[in-house]
Amino acid sequence: MTSSTNKSCPIPTKVLTLKDWSQLPDRYSQTPGGTLFSTTPGGTRIIYDRKFLLECRNSPIAKTPPCCLPQIPGVTVPATHPIGKLQDLKEEMEEEEEEDKDNSDDNQFEMDI
Amino acid sequence: MHERRAKQKDSTVKMATSEPKPADTEEPQPEIPVLPTSDQYVKHPLQNRWALWYFKNDKSKSWTENLRLISKFDTVEDFWALYNHIQQPSKLGFGCDYCLFKDGIKPMWEDDRNKLGGRWLMTLNKQQRHNDLDRYWMETLLCLVGESFDESSEDVCGAVVNVRPKGDKIAIWTSNCQNRDAIMTIGSGYKGRLNLPSKPMISYQSHDDTSSKSGSTTKNMYSV
Repeated sequence: MTSSTNKSCPIPTKVLTLKDWSQLPDRYSQTPGGTLFSTTPGGTRIIYDRKFLLECRNSPIAKTPPCCLPQIPGVTVPATHPIGKLQDLKEEMEEEEEEDKDNSDDNQFEMDI
Repeated sequence: MHERRAKQKDSTVKMATSEPKPADTEEPQPEIPVLPTSDQYVKHPLQNRWALWYFKNDKSKSWTENLRLISKFDTVEDFWALYNHIQQPSKLGFGCDYCLFKDGIKPMWEDDRNKLGGRWLMTLNKQQRHNDLDRYWMETLLCLVGESFDESSEDVCGAVVNVRPKGDKIAIWTSNCQNRDAIMTIGSGYKGRLNLPSKPMISYQSHDDTSSKSGSTTKNMYSV
């Protein structure tokens, strides 16, 4: 968009005919062919302004932690969390195993510092 | 996706129990799916799928071993779900990083989509860890997921926050250090979003120069 013009642009639309239910998108927030809530003219990019994004911060979905989040003490779980301690123990054990492996395997990711 | 639907259904049911019960006393019919009708349960898709990485400086491990994928997301709500449940940068240990990159781009110079690129680098002083770091990082994330730089957003690869004793750093990585127009659009837009004063300027450096620098300073290709 040229920033020099303030004229309104028509929102691009397209009509799709579905041949089968399976063509429906798997999200409620989408329409067939890709849903664009707020797009640049031409309908190519989904953009969200700061205000809108912040308004979504307290939506019910955003209050639930994502599933399958790795347990990283001090990052995804508190540093003092029991899982944190378990994790440390596990890492220690893994390290020992790694050391055993390292004896037979060259570490090709070693970096010069 | 079925999982997600099931979850939404669950929370709908739970929410309903805390609301005034309707007068009817009909038996619930679990066979009929309760579809969320409220806007609350709509997820807003992002232009890109993003991956959040965590780097912990453990000297006993190699650099790549220290880099861990935390999670990926492609909706506004899933972004917040992640953001709301992880530690803020200012509370991370020294030597730790968060990296948010477009899915498929690894947060390292060597990645094909980074190797010709560079970064807009913002260096913070020690006081700013308490005053500005978390706020700036959140704004940076919003700029990325919201695609704030118009068509130049295409050039954005990701962003990195480094927590360091000498002073923290936040950078936006772009794909090609020769794309002057896109880089300048991103740089000035970013500076505006962070509400930074015109001085000091922020600088753009190519990854090539950063990785091959001999002294402590890297050549600035652009400034804004």
